[in-house]
Amino acid sequence: MKKLLALTFMILLAFVFVGCSDAPATTTEGVFTGEKTLPPDVEQDTIVIWVGEEVQEFYQGKANEYIEQYDADPTNQYLFPHEIEIRAADTGTAAGVFLDDPSAGPDVLTVAHDNLGRLTGGTSPAIYPIISPDLIAQIEEQNPESFLDVIKADFEGDTYTFGVPYEAQALILYYNKAYLTEEDVQTWEGIWSVASENEVRATTVTGTDGFNNSFLVLASYADTGEMPVEIYRGGELSNTEFVNDGAISVMKWGQRFFSDPYGVDQGSDSGWEVDLDNEQTLSVIGGAWHFNAAQAALGDDLGVAVLPTFTITEDDAYGSVDAGTVMQSGTFADTKMFVINKRSEHLIYLEDILLFLTHKDVQEESFLENGTLPAYKNALSEFDGMDGDDIKTQLAIAQIAMFEHGIPQPFGIDARFNFYYYQKQGPELLYEMLTEAEEFNTDALIIERMQRIENIWTNTTTE
Amino acid sequence: MQENNQDMNQSFLSKLIEGFLSFFKGIYLFFRSVPKKLVRFGHFLKDKCKGFLERWKDSNLGTKLSHFIMGSGNIYHKQYIKGLLFLAIQVGFLVVFFTNPVVGRSVTNHPVLGPIVVDPGTPIGYKSLGNLITLGTNEGSLFTSADNSMLMLLFGVLMVVMIILFIATWLANIKSSYKAQVDMAKGKKPTTIKEDIKALFDSKFHVLLLTPTIIGVSLFTIIPTIFMILIAFTDYGKGVVAGSDLFNWVGFDNFAAVFESDSEIGQRFLPVLGWTLTWAFFATFSNYIAGILLALLINKYEIRLKKMWRTIFVLTIALPQFITLLAVRSLISELGPFNQMLLNLGILEQPMAFLGQADSATTARISVLVINLWIGIPYTMLMTSGILMNVPKDTYEAAQIDGATKFQAFRHITVPYIVFVTTPYLITSFIGNITSFNIIYLLTAGDPGVPGNYAGKTDLLVTWLFELTIEQGDYNVGSVIAIFTFIITATATLLTYRHSKAYKEEDTFQ
Amino acid sequence: MIEKDMNQVKADPKAHKGMENKKPLMRPNAAKKKAKKTAGTIIAYLALIILAVIWLYPIVWIILHSFREEYIDGFYRGIIVSNYFPNHYGLETYRRLFTEYQAGTYTFLFFDVQVGIFVKWFYNTLIVAIASFFISTVLQLSVAYVMSKIKFEKRKLFLNLAIILGLFPGFMSMIAVYFVLKALGLTQTLFALVLVYSAGAGLGFYIAKGFFDIIPNSLVEAAKIDGATNAQIFGKIILPISKPIIIYTALMTFIGPWMDFIFARVILGADKREIHTVAIGLFDMIYGEHADINNFTIFAAGSVMVAIPIVALFLSLQKYYVEGVTSGSVKG
Repeated sequence: MKKLLALTFMILLAFVFVGCSDAPATTTEGVFTGEKTLPPDVEQDTIVIWVGEEVQEFYQGKANEYIEQYDADPTNQYLFPHEIEIRAADTGTAAGVFLDDPSAGPDVLTVAHDNLGRLTGGTSPAIYPIISPDLIAQIEEQNPESFLDVIKADFEGDTYTFGVPYEAQALILYYNKAYLTEEDVQTWEGIWSVASENEVRATTVTGTDGFNNSFLVLASYADTGEMPVEIYRGGELSNTEFVNDGAISVMKWGQRFFSDPYGVDQGSDSGWEVDLDNEQTLSVIGGAWHFNAAQAALGDDLGVAVLPTFTITEDDAYGSVDAGTVMQSGTFADTKMFVINKRSEHLIYLEDILLFLTHKDVQEESFLENGTLPAYKNALSEFDGMDGDDIKTQLAIAQIAMFEHGIPQPFGIDARFNFYYYQKQGPELLYEMLTEAEEFNTDALIIERMQRIENIWTNTTTE
Repeated sequence: MQENNQDMNQSFLSKLIEGFLSFFKGIYLFFRSVPKKLVRFGHFLKDKCKGFLERWKDSNLGTKLSHFIMGSGNIYHKQYIKGLLFLAIQVGFLVVFFTNPVVGRSVTNHPVLGPIVVDPGTPIGYKSLGNLITLGTNEGSLFTSADNSMLMLLFGVLMVVMIILFIATWLANIKSSYKAQVDMAKGKKPTTIKEDIKALFDSKFHVLLLTPTIIGVSLFTIIPTIFMILIAFTDYGKGVVAGSDLFNWVGFDNFAAVFESDSEIGQRFLPVLGWTLTWAFFATFSNYIAGILLALLINKYEIRLKKMWRTIFVLTIALPQFITLLAVRSLISELGPFNQMLLNLGILEQPMAFLGQADSATTARISVLVINLWIGIPYTMLMTSGILMNVPKDTYEAAQIDGATKFQAFRHITVPYIVFVTTPYLITSFIGNITSFNIIYLLTAGDPGVPGNYAGKTDLLVTWLFELTIEQGDYNVGSVIAIFTFIITATATLLTYRHSKAYKEEDTFQ
Repeated sequence: MIEKDMNQVKADPKAHKGMENKKPLMRPNAAKKKAKKTAGTIIAYLALIILAVIWLYPIVWIILHSFREEYIDGFYRGIIVSNYFPNHYGLETYRRLFTEYQAGTYTFLFFDVQVGIFVKWFYNTLIVAIASFFISTVLQLSVAYVMSKIKFEKRKLFLNLAIILGLFPGFMSMIAVYFVLKALGLTQTLFALVLVYSAGAGLGFYIAKGFFDIIPNSLVEAAKIDGATNAQIFGKIILPISKPIIIYTALMTFIGPWMDFIFARVILGADKREIHTVAIGLFDMIYGEHADINNFTIFAAGSVMVAIPIVALFLSLQKYYVEGVTSGSVKG
């Protein structure tokens, strides 16, 4: 009896020992539990990712979360071997800085999508295409059509996806609530008349580049939502048209708006925020990055709205366009996306990291915490906090609404298309035509200038 | 006295004319002297070669050996450390030359393709010489990078310089071995390393003092400058990204474009050049005259606290320009305090934009010149003040004895003295103003702009060059402009400086 | 000075021809002359006061606005405003500059401190300035002395070469310098910046050379007769009497790194903000592409912080600065 008891006890003890041991062995195929180590033969390094300044801290937190998740995931045999460092780099100039010396660049950088052409140009693109099927699936699922068109580029006949969008921005209207009501700001004429009464400027653009004149260039018919202008539709050089009746009418209206001292103009050389502050202008066409300054200028009087509509009058109408046609101001809608540095040494890990960082849940968190506009196509309906009253939410909602009336800049699809923006100064030529009404006082002259710009768009190398 | 005045006026005018004539004469003489100089250089080379061969014939075994193995001659003459140093240099150079170490190589573990070499890097060695000519041949692909034409150009230049240095060291090695041989033949002991080091502090002191500068300047000024000059002969311009695109030699195409009217550079080059020279002229003279006047004002009358007044004006020199110029820019902007004051005083009816957004280019240009006074007068004022304090008193006393009034003393003693002393400064200031960057860039950035172009109405050659190179990445055009700027400033400097008394009397000041 | 001489001369009748010996009563002309002189003096003072106001106008503006503390409906207001005098003063801006703006944990020597990034920029610039002024002064004075006092072969050649090299626009070579540094593995380090500032310093030797030219050659020759080596002459004889030019050179090379915003940016890169210098940092606040204009007051505060040490140095060493400039220009 004692022997039996001792034997049972021994067997039980053996079971306990076996059961409690910390064996890192695979219990089932592909599942690793227990203590993990760093992978062998991998030198510890830092993965560097550039993001905009305002979200740097947030994404650093997310990156650390990713590493924790990775380490805890039973399907990963080893611990994540590297550190991830999120650095702040101005997204407007990041592409240029990166291209100056790609081998000194980060592993991943954030750029506005219109830089794609520069980054993929030449015989050997500076960035890598996305090849992970999971990531591609998530990109296709989460982003609106318009973005999907501009994050892809061609290389030697094949189309590849290069960018992973996660943020977006569009132009909206900042206005002074002390002078303008919500009804006033629905039409440019409304703002214009209040401005004329007070002998101040109706609105201000913050620069002369294409982003700023897009409210005219990309204007669409308010009833149908169609744009008279075509710029590289579908990524095709030949699908471009600027000189047509609709666009000419819009440009003529624009010229009128620019020539009127109470219409639109550049800010004074004190700066648009000083103009707003001194009530020299009643509104500003701007983006999210102008928010702090606009708020510092107007305080609680700051209002945010979708860009207004305007009506083509008899003076402006040209050709088949009727007087009285209502146009909706347009905008270029930018998306900020991650791109991968071709010379990164940590390719294997990057796509998975991006899968995590650009997931719609993370975008939602970023919106709630930082007020950044998500690229996710259903953000307006699905995200929390989209029905808030505070100004930052209104800013997001207005931008999302503007997406309906705009297109992402198509100039980054192909490096050649950049000529309009970066090299042949098309926007400055357009701006000259809009502001020098005495010089461009006949339809023929206006059309000539528009044709010259269309030529820059289609020829990309000559005028 | 009256005659003296007339004489002075006349001589000033005729001096001016003389100056112009001598300028053109100088250019003519320079070009005429070129063939003569070439012939002289040819003779010089021939003599050197002859000397080399004679030395070879005269060499003993050790020196002859040092022609092939550097340092062996020194070791033969028992200068061990020196010999080993030379040998090390030869070995080092040959190693680099033949093994072609690469810079910028990157490999990665591609998720699909496995470990691949993304960028094989750019070699430095004998391959650099070939690369210098071809500027890269590998075009790269989606997953691998192209040859980096820019690094190839740079390393080619570096390699050429290294080869030149190596040859120079080789010759030095022969010379030192020969000297040791000659010393031994005379019965003197060849110099030991200790003696050589001691000489560095005495007879060869200038070598010790100059070497660090020469190294630094070669590496950070000469080589980069040669590199950028060469860029002007390539098509490394807009839109070309090194490592993604290859670029090639194009000869003088870029220079020709300057004179073509339909290229951007052709359209704007002459206007910008004209404004640059105008600006330099007005800026220099206005600062010069106003500065002297201000110095005289502070210095002349019964003004107390001279030092305090000077200090106030010197503050603008002490503060960084991008702070002071930004302050001025904001201050005179349309809604700034300055315009406000003008409105209150009734001088203006509407606020006026003075700088980049001015209605006319002339307004902007005048504004910039006026602000340049604000920045520049303190320099001239300080210098003139210093000079005034050192005016020799006996000249004044002699003048008083002759019955001169204060005013006449001023006109005929003070003024010429100041002019004589500050003429070199005037020249350097003029040349410096041609390349003055900060003021234009920070105040107007070249605006008012010319649509369709990068050069605005207030752009100088240097600010245009900056925009093209750094902001637009149009390196070859930028280099062309830089070369032209250099030619202009170099011509002006060499001619005026050489003829100026200060240079001629430079050695005889004592 | 001239008046004094005139008075001296007047007092000595023999020295002044044609001047009669008159009793020292107020002559009618003398009163008029004195009135004219006082009027002239008053006008001169007025002119100086007006000029001084003009000169200080922008500087005072920046200083005043760095002490501006304004809020609008609870939001901090840092934009440029159109009134010259701020409506409300306070130290909030400085607090933001030192503790809030891009705050993080930065390393100072061996300590990790949680501060605003401006402090780190200041510290970086200080290190670079000290290192580069030291090296630059040594190099510049060495070259100037050699060019001035040592007659060696090829001296004219070097002189001409130095002039020619100085004529190329500086940032033409900036891109190439970056890649030379890269080949040496030094980019994005403060050490590289020090190298770049110091390496070219030797070329700017003219003013120092002018100073050395004034020192009489006889001094050098006498020392040589006594058996001194060139190095001893330089170290023991020339340098001790060259205090003005040493201080001048040191001052000029110390101030350089605080003001340069072009070169430093290319060499240090744009993303590693914690190794930037104050010039780049402040410049980026206002001129960067998406720079926030609401930071203008912080920019002003940063400018004041940068200006204080520089101006202090300048003022205390002004005497040497003037001497340096004049002696250099005497020789050109």
